[in-house]
Amino acid sequence: MMSLASYLIISLILFIVGLVVMIARKNIVAILLGIELILNAAALNFVAYSRYVTNNLDGHIFSLFIIVVAAAEAAVGLAIVIRFFQIKETIHIDEATQLRN
Amino acid sequence: MEYTVGSIAPIFLAPVIAFVINAIFGRKLPRQGDWLATLSIFISFIFSARIFGDFVFGKFASDFFVHKVFTWFDLSYGTQIWKVDMGIYIDNMASIMLLMVSGVAFLIHLFSTWYMDHDEKHGRFFVFLPLFTSAMLGLVLSDNLFSMFIFWEIMGFCSYSLIGIYVKKEKAGDASLKAFMTTRVGDVFLLLGIVAIWMLLGSVAYVDIYAAIAEGKFAGHSVLGISFATFAALCIFLGGMGKSAQFPLHVWLPDAMMGPTPGSALIHAATMVTAGVWVSLRMYPLMVLGDITWFIAVIGAITAFGAATIATVQTDIKAVLAYSTLSQLGYMMIGVGVGSYNAAFMHVITHAMFKACLFLAAGSVIHTIHEQQMPKMGGLRKYLPYTHFAMMCCTLAIAGIPFFSGFVSKDRILGDALYYGFMAGQNPLLAIVPILGFAGAGLTAFYMFRMMFLTFYGENRMHHDDHGHGHGHQDSHGHESHGHDIHHEHLDARQNVPLLILSVFTLGFWFAGNLTGQNFGKVFGEKNEWFKILVEAPKVEKFINSPREEFGKTDTAADKNLPKAVYDYHSDSQTGYAGPNPDTHKIHSAHTIGAIASIIIAFSGVFLAFLMYIKGSIKPWAPKFPELTKVLQNKYGFDELYIDVIIKKGLLGFNRFLSWFDMGVYDRFAVDGWAAVNRVIFKASKWFDNVVVDAIGVDGTGVAVNLFNLVLRIVQSGKIQFYFIMLIMVLASYIWTLNI
Repeated sequence: MMSLASYLIISLILFIVGLVVMIARKNIVAILLGIELILNAAALNFVAYSRYVTNNLDGHIFSLFIIVVAAAEAAVGLAIVIRFFQIKETIHIDEATQLRN
Repeated sequence: MEYTVGSIAPIFLAPVIAFVINAIFGRKLPRQGDWLATLSIFISFIFSARIFGDFVFGKFASDFFVHKVFTWFDLSYGTQIWKVDMGIYIDNMASIMLLMVSGVAFLIHLFSTWYMDHDEKHGRFFVFLPLFTSAMLGLVLSDNLFSMFIFWEIMGFCSYSLIGIYVKKEKAGDASLKAFMTTRVGDVFLLLGIVAIWMLLGSVAYVDIYAAIAEGKFAGHSVLGISFATFAALCIFLGGMGKSAQFPLHVWLPDAMMGPTPGSALIHAATMVTAGVWVSLRMYPLMVLGDITWFIAVIGAITAFGAATIATVQTDIKAVLAYSTLSQLGYMMIGVGVGSYNAAFMHVITHAMFKACLFLAAGSVIHTIHEQQMPKMGGLRKYLPYTHFAMMCCTLAIAGIPFFSGFVSKDRILGDALYYGFMAGQNPLLAIVPILGFAGAGLTAFYMFRMMFLTFYGENRMHHDDHGHGHGHQDSHGHESHGHDIHHEHLDARQNVPLLILSVFTLGFWFAGNLTGQNFGKVFGEKNEWFKILVEAPKVEKFINSPREEFGKTDTAADKNLPKAVYDYHSDSQTGYAGPNPDTHKIHSAHTIGAIASIIIAFSGVFLAFLMYIKGSIKPWAPKFPELTKVLQNKYGFDELYIDVIIKKGLLGFNRFLSWFDMGVYDRFAVDGWAAVNRVIFKASKWFDNVVVDAIGVDGTGVAVNLFNLVLRIVQSGKIQFYFIMLIMVLASYIWTLNI
């Protein structure tokens, strides 16, 4: 029996995996992947609440927006990563310390 | 007859303008601007002559006066009046004085253009000469003591500059300093007197002082234990003593001949020395109220006699004239003191005429032969005929020979002095006033004719008296010639015309209205005694609530319905020639006795000089009384007294005390002590600065910021993932605090 809790658990797992990837991995591309996971967890939550609580299409529309924003964000993020790689010749996150100075 | 300021001001302003132009552009003008100075004085003379004509020839009543006032500054607040008015005050006396000053000054200027020709100080001389004259004219025009004092000081400065005009001669510098400092002693007292009157009355205008005297405002006040009127009168008279070179303060005048001779003529005749007599005459009601007229008379008598004795042994022609000035000023003061007001003023005028002429004649002699010592002159009559004529007229006048002006004025003074000393019931000791006065008159006749005989008569001693070159040339013309190049007098108009004009006015009838000036032997009667009628001591009562006109408004005598001046015998009561005075008879007899006595004394003086220096039947007395001669040649030792005793012992000791006080007490304790206190304060503030401000305030802030930084530095690592963690922790703590 599919219930709201199972969706929320999946969503939580996705969120935690994404968070861990963001914090633990040193590869910038991997961090971007982690961000996608977190966004997808949020989108899953919207759809699930839309289905079980409000029973209308608001959550679906939100998740569509999230997908669009995630695509745009991935494009911008990858562009930054490419520029970063051109300057530093690496995509190790610890090299990106320009904000410090 | 309208009087506006514009018709009076040029008298004073024309010479001032000439002074300014000469001072700034004098070097660029042709003849260094001497014509400009002379012209400006002539303009003054024209305007003065108009006023003189209006006042004297009957357009105004004898007691009419013009008084115009503007407020100079006004610091009044509430009921306290602190206001200084300036203004013009002209009465009969001022109109006569203006004409005399501008006329004599004009002739002196004219003579100076000849005398100072080719002199290195020509330009400078004609800068100060018009300023000097304008200051005197301004003093005569002043309506109050304060502006009078300003002009008084300008004159002091000008005399300083004229006496010391040959700046390279040390003696001239000393003499100018002496003149300045000696008159300063008097000026301090004068200023004290002016301020005292200002404090009491709130005004120093003559008319206000007269009104205050009439209203009795001086009564009941006292200063230092003496009555206020006496104090103020004494202070003002001491100022006059300094300027008019009266007895204790006389030392500057004989030295004042260091300057060029025309400058001496201006100082000794028209300006400067008459200023002291002028202020004594203006303040005469105050002198009477303060009861110091006996003091004035005694001072005048001492000066008149003492200066005459010194003059008898002088060998420098200008020194003789200088001491004769002193002596004649003494007579003026006797006149003020014994109450013969108009005779004293007449003596101012007559003396100005003949003394200016005498000095100019002496200048003519000195300029021609380049010699000032009389023993080296002699027989100049045939070389300098015009100068001789003028000088003889003036000598007759000053000696008091009848028909000349000096006789008229001096004899009236002496007659009044005789009455004052013996018949007026005064203190018997005051009999010294007429006694010294008559003795001085005899000496005057003697020494003046001695000068005439030594200079113009006898044989010429210039060629065979060549020792003693070292002294003598005190005047400017230090050519090393001793008269070998004597030449006949040029017919230079600028030299001779002033002399001849002035010698015309040495005749007595201009002033007296009759030939002798005495009551017996009235040839033309008493009708034209204009001087006696027009000049009288101010009657203070008429000044109560006297109106004064604002500056700029015209003032018409016609509106006031004034009676014309009446030239008759009975309007004169001041000197006691007529009128209700019960002593009239006594005064008449005093004047008759005085006239006879002074004629006898004058002629015996002349005769004695004649016997000594022309006929040679009496040897000069100087070798017979060597000690007395020495005392006289030392001028009674007043110079030594002032320099050795008062200045060196008194003032220098006082100065030393002051210097000790300054160095020992003030410097050591006040200055150094204050420095020590400051050093302690400085140390304390330095500690405060170092410790509190710098260490705690400035550095402490830095340290605190640094410490705070330590934490912040850790947080700002630059590692993006660390920021993520921080962000998550902050969000988590936020959620925690929301208690969800």
